[in-house]
Amino acid sequence: MTELYSSTPTALSRRTTLRAAGGGTLLLGLGLAGCRSAVSEAEAPAGKAAAEPRRGGTLTVAVNSDFTPSLLFAQSGQSLQHRLIYNTLTRYDDGLKPQPELATSWEYAEDGRSITLKLRTGVTYHDGRPFTADDVIFAVKNLQNPLRAAQLRATAAAVTGFEKRGDHELVLKLAHPVNNLFDLFEFMILTDRNSVEDAVTGKKLIGTGPFALTRWSPGAGLSFTRNEKYWQPDRPYLDAVEFRVVPQADALLSSLRTGQSQLSFGVPGKNLAVVAATPELAISEYTTGGGAYYLGVNTTVAPLDDKTVRQALARAVDRERILKQVLGGYGLASATPWPKSSPAFTEAGRTHYTYDPGKARELLKSAGHTRLDLPLLHINLPGDTAVAEAIQYDLKQIGVHVTLQPTDPATAQKNLISQKMPGLWTMSHGFAQVQPSTLAVSAYPFNEAKNTSRFRSAAYTKVVREAWTTPETGARANALRQQITDTLLDEAFIIDLVIRGSVQVSAKKLHGVTLNKFAYLNLDDAYLAG
Amino acid sequence: MTTHTPPARTKPAGTRTAPRRPRHAHRAALATARGRTGLALVGVVVLAGLLAPLLTGHGPTDQSGLSLAAPGTPGHPLGTDDLGRDLLARLLYGIRADLGIIAAAVPLGAALGCLLALAAAAHPVLDTVVQRTFDLILAFPGLILALAVTAILGPGRLPVILVIALAEIPVFGRLLRTGILVQRGREYVTAARVGGTSGGRILTRHILPNTADPLVVQIAVSLTVAVFVEGAMSFLGVGVRPPEPTLGAVLSQSMPYLAQAPHFAAGPLVTVTALVLGLSLAAEALNREIRR
Repeated sequence: MTELYSSTPTALSRRTTLRAAGGGTLLLGLGLAGCRSAVSEAEAPAGKAAAEPRRGGTLTVAVNSDFTPSLLFAQSGQSLQHRLIYNTLTRYDDGLKPQPELATSWEYAEDGRSITLKLRTGVTYHDGRPFTADDVIFAVKNLQNPLRAAQLRATAAAVTGFEKRGDHELVLKLAHPVNNLFDLFEFMILTDRNSVEDAVTGKKLIGTGPFALTRWSPGAGLSFTRNEKYWQPDRPYLDAVEFRVVPQADALLSSLRTGQSQLSFGVPGKNLAVVAATPELAISEYTTGGGAYYLGVNTTVAPLDDKTVRQALARAVDRERILKQVLGGYGLASATPWPKSSPAFTEAGRTHYTYDPGKARELLKSAGHTRLDLPLLHINLPGDTAVAEAIQYDLKQIGVHVTLQPTDPATAQKNLISQKMPGLWTMSHGFAQVQPSTLAVSAYPFNEAKNTSRFRSAAYTKVVREAWTTPETGARANALRQQITDTLLDEAFIIDLVIRGSVQVSAKKLHGVTLNKFAYLNLDDAYLAG
Repeated sequence: MTTHTPPARTKPAGTRTAPRRPRHAHRAALATARGRTGLALVGVVVLAGLLAPLLTGHGPTDQSGLSLAAPGTPGHPLGTDDLGRDLLARLLYGIRADLGIIAAAVPLGAALGCLLALAAAAHPVLDTVVQRTFDLILAFPGLILALAVTAILGPGRLPVILVIALAEIPVFGRLLRTGILVQRGREYVTAARVGGTSGGRILTRHILPNTADPLVVQIAVSLTVAVFVEGAMSFLGVGVRPPEPTLGAVLSQSMPYLAQAPHFAAGPLVTVTALVLGLSLAAEALNREIRR
C-alpha cells in the first residue's frame, strides 16, 4: 500500500518482525498489508529488533524548509506533514497496486468511464465531524480549481460527475478513461471542506489523519499531537511529533547526530558519509524514486533547437560521477526519468545515453558546431551548485562553454512554471514514480501541452494522450510507454541524469516510518524503542 | 566594515620633524617587529597568489574522479575537493581572485569616499547632502547591502567589488572630512589664510598632507574587512560565480565535509587567517607609529 519503500535489504525482516510482534493486529483490516518500514532493522541496536512497539514519546523531525500552506494542494518541497494531518483515498504498494485507506474498495466500469468507491465508515475529522462522500466530492473539485495549482489537476478535471449512493459510496464519472486515477487518489489529501480556506493560509488544518496540528510557527516548525479518535485502532503509537525547520545542512546534520532530532529526509548526499559513520543513525533509501536531477534544454534557443545538439549534451555528461561525487552514491544514473519500480523502466532506456565525450563531440560537429557558449541556470544551494559545476565541466570537454547562473529556489521555480528558462538549466523533477502518463500530463518539464523546454510535437501529444487514456496494463500500454520513453530520449529536451528517491536518516531506535509516493510521511506504525 | 582609525596627531606642513621621529613614519612603522610580521604574512599570501600558475600544475576548475583525496595524494599536495579539483590550485587561484577584488574595491571605495569628503568640505550644503548619503549607506548592514546589490546585478565579481567599495565610501569619507575639519581650525591654516594663500592651495598643500596618515591606516584595515566581505558573500552563495574559486567559496564548499575531510577547509581558513592577521598587524603598526 504505500510507499516509497526502503531498499535496505532488511526491510523485509522489519516487516516480518513487526508482524510477529504485533500478532497480526498491526495490519488487521486496516489496509496496511504491505507497509514496510524504511528503517533497517539490522541496523538497529542488538536486542531491539524483536522489541514490541512502544507507545508514547515525541518524535522530532528535522526539515530543511518550512511548510507552505498556499501549496497545500500542490506537490512542493515539503509535503511530509500531509499524511500526518490527512488521509488519502488509497495508497500504492511496491508494484503500484492501490491499497485501501479511506476508500475500502473500488470498481471500475467496463468502459473505464466511471469508478465506484466504497468509503470507510467510522472515520471522523479532528473536530469530530464524520467523513462522508461529500468530502471526497469536495476534494476532487478542490483540485480542479486552478488556484490550488495541483499538478494532478488534469486528472482531477477528467472527473466530470459525481453520484452519491449514501454517505459512504460514491461514483466518479469520467469525461474519458484515464489510467492514473489512483495517482490522484494517492496525491489528494482529504481536507475538511468547511475550513479549507483557513487551511491554505495555515490558520486551521483539519483532517482525519493520525495526528492533529496544534501549532505552526512560521519559519520554526510544526507541532502535532496524537489523534485519539484515529480510525486505526491503537494507532498511532507516538504521543506527538515535532517538525523543526533547520535550513542549514550542517546544523540539520548536527541535530541528528546530537539526538535533538530523530528523523530527516533533508540530509544532502554530501553529508551521508558522516551519517554512515555515526553508530546511532541509519540511512535508508527509497528506491522507488520521487525525484530526478536533470539537465533541461530550451528548444527555442538556437542551436538547442537542433536535437542533434541536445543529444550531444546528453552524451557529454558523466552521470555516474555526479551520482558518486555529489549525491554520495545514493541514486541511479539514468538517461530516462523512470525509477526501477516504474512500469516504463527498461535497462536499455536507462543506459541509452552513456558518458561518451568523443561521440558527443562528433554529434556536435555533425550539427556544424565546434564551440558553443550557453547559460545554465541552477539553484544556488550547495548540492545543486555542485551538480551544475559537474555539468559545466563535462560540457566544456566537448566545446560547450557554460556560464552558470546561480538563482534562488523561488525564482527558479517561477521560471520553470512560466517557461522563462535560459538555454540550459538543471533542477530536479518528480512524478516519474507513479503511472508514467502522469509525468507527461502533470510535471512542468514534461507536460505535453505546455512544458518548460517549449518543446511541442504533435506526435508527443498524441502518444501521451493515448497513454493517459489507455488501461495501464497490457501490450498496448507497454508499447505506448515505450513510445514516450523513445520520444524523450530522441528529442532530449529533458536530459535525465540521476534518479533519486528520498534518503531517510533516522535514529536507530526509531521504527515503522514510511513515505507514500509523493513523500507524505506516514507515522501510523512508527515508534521509538528504548 | 565601519572601523575607524582615530585621527593622527598633526604636524604643521613645512615644520621640522622632531629628532627622534623617523622622516618616513610609514616606513618606520613597517620596520617594527609588528609591521614586519604583518608584511611577511601578507607578502607570503600575495606571492602565493601571484605565482599560482607556477606553483600548481592543475587548473582551479579541472575536475577528476578523485573525490576528497587526502593531502599528500600524488599530484595533489593538499588533496582534492568533492568534484576532484586540486585544492592547492583552488586555494592559490582563490587568493588571486580575492586579491584582485580587494585591490580594486578598496581603492575605489577610498577614492570615492575622499572625493565626496572634499566636496563636502567645499560647501555647507554639499556637506549636508554628502553626510546624509553616508548615513543612508551606513544604514544598510553590510550583508543586507550585499544581498540587495546581488539581487539587482546577479552574482559575480562586479557586485562583490561594488559592495565592498560602497561599504568603504562612508568610512573613508567620514575619516577625511573629520581630518579636514580638525585641521581647518589649526593655527597654521589660519596663518596661511592670513598670508593670502588661496582656499584650494590651503586644502591641497597644507590640510590634506596632515589628514593622509589615518587614511593609510584605514586602507590596511579596509583590506582586512574586504577579505571578510568577499568571504561572507561567497559563503552565502552571492559572491563570485562558480566554479571560479575564491577563499570564501572554497570555504563554503568545504562545510559539508568538515567531519570527513577537514583538510578541505584548512587551506582557505589558514590563508584567510594569515591575510587578515598580516593586514591587521600592519595596520596596527602604522597606527601606533602615526600616533606617536
